[in-house]
Amino acid sequence: MKFIKCLKHAFEMVLHSKLRSWLTILGIVIGVASVTAIMSLGGSFQQNVNQQLGSLGGDILTLTAGYSRGFSMFGPPGEREGGGGGTTATKTQPTLTRLDAQALRGIPDIAAFDTEIRGNVKVTYLGKSGTVSLTGVDPEVWSRVTTSKISAGRMLDAADQNVIVIGGRLAATYFDKPVGINQMITIEKNVFRVVGVLDDQSNTIYMPIQMAFQVLTTKENGVYDSIVIKIKDESKLNETMTKIENRLLLLRHVIASKKDFSIISNKQIQQTRSQMMSSMNTFLVALAAVSLIVGAVGIANTMFTSVMEKTKEIGIMKAIGARNKDILSIFLLNAALIGLVGGLLGVVFGIILSALLPILMGDISMLRGGTFVSVNSIILSLSVSIIIGILAGVIPALQASKLKPVDALRYE
Amino acid sequence: MMDKLLQLENVWKIYKMGEVEVPALRGVSVEISKGDFVVIVGASGSGKSTMMNLIGCLDIPTKGNIFLKNRDITKMSESDLATLRGRTIGFIFQQYNLIPSISAFDNVMLPLEFLEYDDREAIVKARKILNEVGLGDKLHNLPTQLSGGQQQRVSIARSMVTNPEIILADEPTGNLDSVTGKSIMEMFRQLWKTGGKTIIMVTHDLKLAQFAHTTIELADGQIIKMKKN
Repeated sequence: MKFIKCLKHAFEMVLHSKLRSWLTILGIVIGVASVTAIMSLGGSFQQNVNQQLGSLGGDILTLTAGYSRGFSMFGPPGEREGGGGGTTATKTQPTLTRLDAQALRGIPDIAAFDTEIRGNVKVTYLGKSGTVSLTGVDPEVWSRVTTSKISAGRMLDAADQNVIVIGGRLAATYFDKPVGINQMITIEKNVFRVVGVLDDQSNTIYMPIQMAFQVLTTKENGVYDSIVIKIKDESKLNETMTKIENRLLLLRHVIASKKDFSIISNKQIQQTRSQMMSSMNTFLVALAAVSLIVGAVGIANTMFTSVMEKTKEIGIMKAIGARNKDILSIFLLNAALIGLVGGLLGVVFGIILSALLPILMGDISMLRGGTFVSVNSIILSLSVSIIIGILAGVIPALQASKLKPVDALRYE
Repeated sequence: MMDKLLQLENVWKIYKMGEVEVPALRGVSVEISKGDFVVIVGASGSGKSTMMNLIGCLDIPTKGNIFLKNRDITKMSESDLATLRGRTIGFIFQQYNLIPSISAFDNVMLPLEFLEYDDREAIVKARKILNEVGLGDKLHNLPTQLSGGQQQRVSIARSMVTNPEIILADEPTGNLDSVTGKSIMEMFRQLWKTGGKTIIMVTHDLKLAQFAHTTIELADGQIIKMKKN
């Protein structure tokens, strides 16, 4: 029998057992839709992480007090702890101080560095209050070291006192009304003028570090949470890191094995976050794939039922000239069609689901760019669903093709 | 002298029922010539259906040889047997055995599709044969929308559409009333007389033997009588 005729008969089989076929197809739809949506979600996370980190700049290093073997995907250790070098620091808690900063000045490979402190503060604007993150930066160098871009107003400069630059989201949506340039915001009872709004989605406030020491009363003057370093030559990243490390080890009187500070590059952060994101994606896709396996079992079940139900028809077809391979092809194509239809509908639902996910999951920063379903994931999902259909159909189809015509004709 | 079309040589068919062996045919030898109209009669359990299955290449004997057009079917592959069946034998069953989910026309198209006929040629053949059996206006009816007699005519059309040399009919009138049964038998006589087909019919109805040229009577898996009319 010609392929096209086998396909026709396979299609008729799907049409003539509508409810059973559609229930089986539903199993595949759920599996493929979950895999597609999760792959799209993972892809969007990955893209977002890459974009974020790509914009960090490859020539930036972050120095923090304390040392840990690894760092989380959410930032270097200093950021995580919310500042480890405050007045509460004891001898056992290492800090970064002016001495460390001075030591950095002597390294010629460093273009600039920005000493920073961090904390949470209460802000009030037009009667609406809230708690946001405050970063005190060196106004003289911050604009050169940061990778943030300004969307309105200006960056901080050396002569600035009671002024702040705020994150894009804080300016646009945090308060009842948007905060514009030259508007006054109260931070912990001190009033500051907004001179710039960043082109980002953060709620962070940036102010000159000396002002920040006054606002963040728990911080000790001259002790920093981190030092952000911009190096002169990106190609000498590792070399420069080693120089800084050696200089600080000497200054802080520690040996490498008892290092009490961390220095990491954006590149390292990028790699680690990417790896973690990739592992998470794989895990999620594997979870979704379980539902595909359940779908495959559904196809196999339907096919076995179909073979049993059509035993007599198989006998009739064999009596009138059908060869084993004709019967095999019809049943395999039937299974593949169930897989294909399930795959196609699954991709459609997967695309819809991935578009709805950002809404369903709430305001997640990593999904702000929206989700996208790549052509590759569509091709992969369809191929997998057809292959699953065929694999699930192989044994029932073989069983059907090997039926002896005389036995099949006798079957009631 | 008619050509030899089919030959059974000491054919045994033994079914195993657990530990017990039940012989359905016991050393049957017979020759059927081209253009003959053979009726195989016998009581229930005499081995008629087993003999028909073997003649129709639907089953192979436990012992002995069957030659169809001088080819030993016991030595042929399943695939070759299927093609041989499709080209040489047209089956007509008591239960009509039409595929219920497709139309009368599609049922008649099926054997042509298995033999990979060109679509246009197949459509012409199927239409023509359905017209000949008087179902030109029922082409697109499903089998369930046809009477028993009409279904059997579709079955005859399906058996004839590939122009086989042998028509093998198993109790073809068994489910029909006497008038319809008689008209079906007339169709067989036409096929035999004017179409030049070899008709082999299995029945328990001795009255149908009057239509045949050769009558073979079976009892307990053996031929007990064979006569030419």
